[in-house]
Amino acid sequence: MVIEVSQSTVVEIVESIFATMMEIDVFVSDSPLCVTGDRMTATVYLEGEWNGAVSLECNRTQACQFAGRFLSMDPPDAVDDDVRDALGELVNMIGGNVKSVMSKDVRLSMPSVIDGNNYELRICGSHTRDVSAFQFFGGTFWVTVLDERRSRPN
Amino acid sequence: MDILVVDDSKIMRSILQRAIRQAGYRGLNVCEAENGVQALERLRDGTPKLILSDWNMPEMSGLEFLKQVRETDTKLPFGFVTSECSPEMRVLAMSSGATFMLSKPFSPQDIEEVLIPILH
Repeated sequence: MVIEVSQSTVVEIVESIFATMMEIDVFVSDSPLCVTGDRMTATVYLEGEWNGAVSLECNRTQACQFAGRFLSMDPPDAVDDDVRDALGELVNMIGGNVKSVMSKDVRLSMPSVIDGNNYELRICGSHTRDVSAFQFFGGTFWVTVLDERRSRPN
Repeated sequence: MDILVVDDSKIMRSILQRAIRQAGYRGLNVCEAENGVQALERLRDGTPKLILSDWNMPEMSGLEFLKQVRETDTKLPFGFVTSECSPEMRVLAMSSGATFMLSKPFSPQDIEEVLIPILH
């Protein structure tokens, strides 16, 4: 049996991860998803009784700030493998916690991290279920939950 | 080798190393491996007092790694540190021979609580 995960549960998960692992207080914001120019997207996919994905979008500066906090050091000046690794680990934790409240028959993929400019990530066959915006000292980042687009009955 | 940390994420291995130090265990020899296959190779060099392993890893999952460890050593303390910590997975881990399961996110206090009974 699949237990649906509410947006408020996702918010609790994100707040807990950022506070516990990085000592960063994040607050829910109503900012619409808007990442322009340089950006990074980390995504994990869930497959099984429930099919979907969880992604985290932020800019490069924010990703460097997350990595700095993760490693208890000054933020790196530029995106490197540690920064990509930190962002992947963050979304892996969010996705893992989402999976844990969902169902035993859902598998979690390895995280993927995209770093670039003016790209569009399209996960075929999915639709956006929830987008949660979070504010912290470095600005706003977004966590999106996508699930499988079910075909309409004839 | 006192503790073997097994995780495909370099940053998570660093966080675990730091959490172990913050828990008061500064002088320990902590070795790292990126997955179960590499960890089994490390174990040929010596037996640690504790293994801390992720669950979801490429090459060999944490669960498969645990099962292979248990084929030769039934007592070596083995803890999972994973974001996937559902009740069903906890049951599977413990029935397969895990000593404990620690969920991510974790605090240094959480690490301390699982280390004390094993390392003291």
